[in-house]
Amino acid sequence: MAQSRPAAKAKDAMDDEEPTEVAPDTKLYEELGELARFIDTTMKTLSEFSVPVSASSEQLPQAQTHLLNLKTQTEQGTHRVMMEVESIQDNHVHVGKMLKELTHALQQANVAPNLIQQVQKITQDLNKDDKRLLDIMTALSFQDLVAQSVNKLVTILDEVEHKLLQLVVVFGPYQKQAAKNDQGKANEMLKQLEATKNTSMNQDLADEILKQFGFN
Amino acid sequence: MPADPNMKILVVDDMSTMRRIVKNILKQLGFNNLEEAENGQEALTKLKADTYGFVVSDWNMPVMMGIDMLRAIRADEKLKKIPVLMVTAEAQKENLMEAVQAGVSNYVVKPFTAETMQEKISKIFK
Repeated sequence: MAQSRPAAKAKDAMDDEEPTEVAPDTKLYEELGELARFIDTTMKTLSEFSVPVSASSEQLPQAQTHLLNLKTQTEQGTHRVMMEVESIQDNHVHVGKMLKELTHALQQANVAPNLIQQVQKITQDLNKDDKRLLDIMTALSFQDLVAQSVNKLVTILDEVEHKLLQLVVVFGPYQKQAAKNDQGKANEMLKQLEATKNTSMNQDLADEILKQFGFN
Repeated sequence: MPADPNMKILVVDDMSTMRRIVKNILKQLGFNNLEEAENGQEALTKLKADTYGFVVSDWNMPVMMGIDMLRAIRADEKLKKIPVLMVTAEAQKENLMEAVQAGVSNYVVKPFTAETMQEKISKIFK
């Protein structure tokens, strides 16, 4: 059958395009196949991830409990040491009074001066020990710093646990970057811990600044 | 004006160990009329209910922070003249500036020594 000129022209055009029309389909199928394999592999990988991530999340409350126990234990231990120090301080006050009375009595009895000097020397030594006891007390303030750091770590762990659970739910190793960028409480606490480490003032610097404000 | 050894002093800190340490130092310095509070809110209640001559306070506490308590003290006609010494681990310059602006009487950075505290108290009550 004879074709009209435009129809023949159209057929020629179709014949010309035929090889390029088949190629995209094949390529598309190949890409879809590749994508399906990628999704399959990713799903398997993600399912492997979710178990340890889930397990880690479940361990975090335990870690928090351990940290809080650590705080309680240091607090109890510190109070125990303080109790002993306070007992010795009270005892020193009592002994100090007795030594004062003894010195007075020796002076009244007009005994050898070197004996009185010895008693006074004992009083001086006792006073030096009082200073050491006070140093022990103030050194125990480490517990307060430990407790504050523990509190911050517990808050951070709480936030990390929350994030990990979110990751488990949404298969989120891909969310890592988003989590990293998050400006949550944990981030803030970490910054505070870092800042304390890097830029904390000592008393001399604080005094220098105070001086600038007229504190003499 | 030298510090009156009989004045009532309020020690404010959420950590029991720190309250005990500060009270011990104050005792050794001759102050025996000591009270304590666990946070700024409790401290304000006590300050309003009685007459205190001096407040030693931490910064970082639950319920009400030390800096907020300081602002509340300075804003209260009855309490505003009470000297407040901040004893704190908040050791950033910004914290110190904030405390100065809020009207702190002096500032001690933890960890501290008894000598530092004595020196600061002497300066406040000179």
